Amino acid sequence: MTVPLEVADPSVVTDEDVEVDRPWQVIVWNDPINLMSYVTLIFQKVLGCSLERATKLMLDVHEKGRAVVSGGTRAEAESDVHKLHAHGLWATMEHAD
Amino acid sequence: MASAYLLIARIAEDRYAFDVPSWLRDAVLALADQLDDELDGDDHPVFQRLFPTAYPDDPEKDAGYQILARGELIETRHSAIDTVRASADAEELDGESLDAWMRVVNDLRLVLGTHMDLSEDHRWKPRKGDESYYAMYEAFSLLLQSIVEAQMDFDDEDLVPGDDKEE
Repeated sequence: MTVPLEVADPSVVTDEDVEVDRPWQVIVWNDPINLMSYVTLIFQKVLGCSLERATKLMLDVHEKGRAVVSGGTRAEAESDVHKLHAHGLWATMEHAD
Repeated sequence: MASAYLLIARIAEDRYAFDVPSWLRDAVLALADQLDDELDGDDHPVFQRLFPTAYPDDPEKDAGYQILARGELIETRHSAIDTVRASADAEELDGESLDAWMRVVNDLRLVLGTHMDLSEDHRWKPRKGDESYYAMYEAFSLLLQSIVEAQMDFDDEDLVPGDDKEE
């Protein structure tokens, strides 16, 4: 017996499609424990930032309370968050818009 | 003029002199052993900084992240502690071992700082009974700073390629 395939209507945009397309950003939050020099080094090692950019991001975190340090697809953002967590940084992610 | 005493210094590519006093090594090892024993146990408030929330506004997504990430974060930490144990008496370290020391010392600072409710408020001081924890925290800060400074002195070619564009 042949089972009819259910083909999705390409004109219908589901919540899942919207979810996939929306970019994510990774945020690092200020905390009273991590050393400023340590945070700068981790931005260099984990995110591949230059010393100048890593220092700028660290100062943003310190002075403004948070900084957007990277972004991309959900998988890319989650990967960065995971690496930052492995180094003890307080990182979260949210939609960029 | 006095010159600064370096606990750790890069002496060659991927080689670091590790001139850390034994009392400080012993302190790291003692607390790292405790951390190693308790990492797999029930959630404890002092470990909250080791396993942060990834999706603060979405508990469902965060639960999924925690299921995937927590085990890896625990395993990474066990592995770093193993490396620290194996190099407890070393006078020189390679970059990988130094990175393990850095992670472990930073984790211990996070646990101690969380336990003491450390704050950036200039009026903060350790609670009665926490003075020894604070002394240890400060000693670990000195050690971590030395580990960081030894690694900061590298060329751009050594950096991981990645996103370096301006916001």
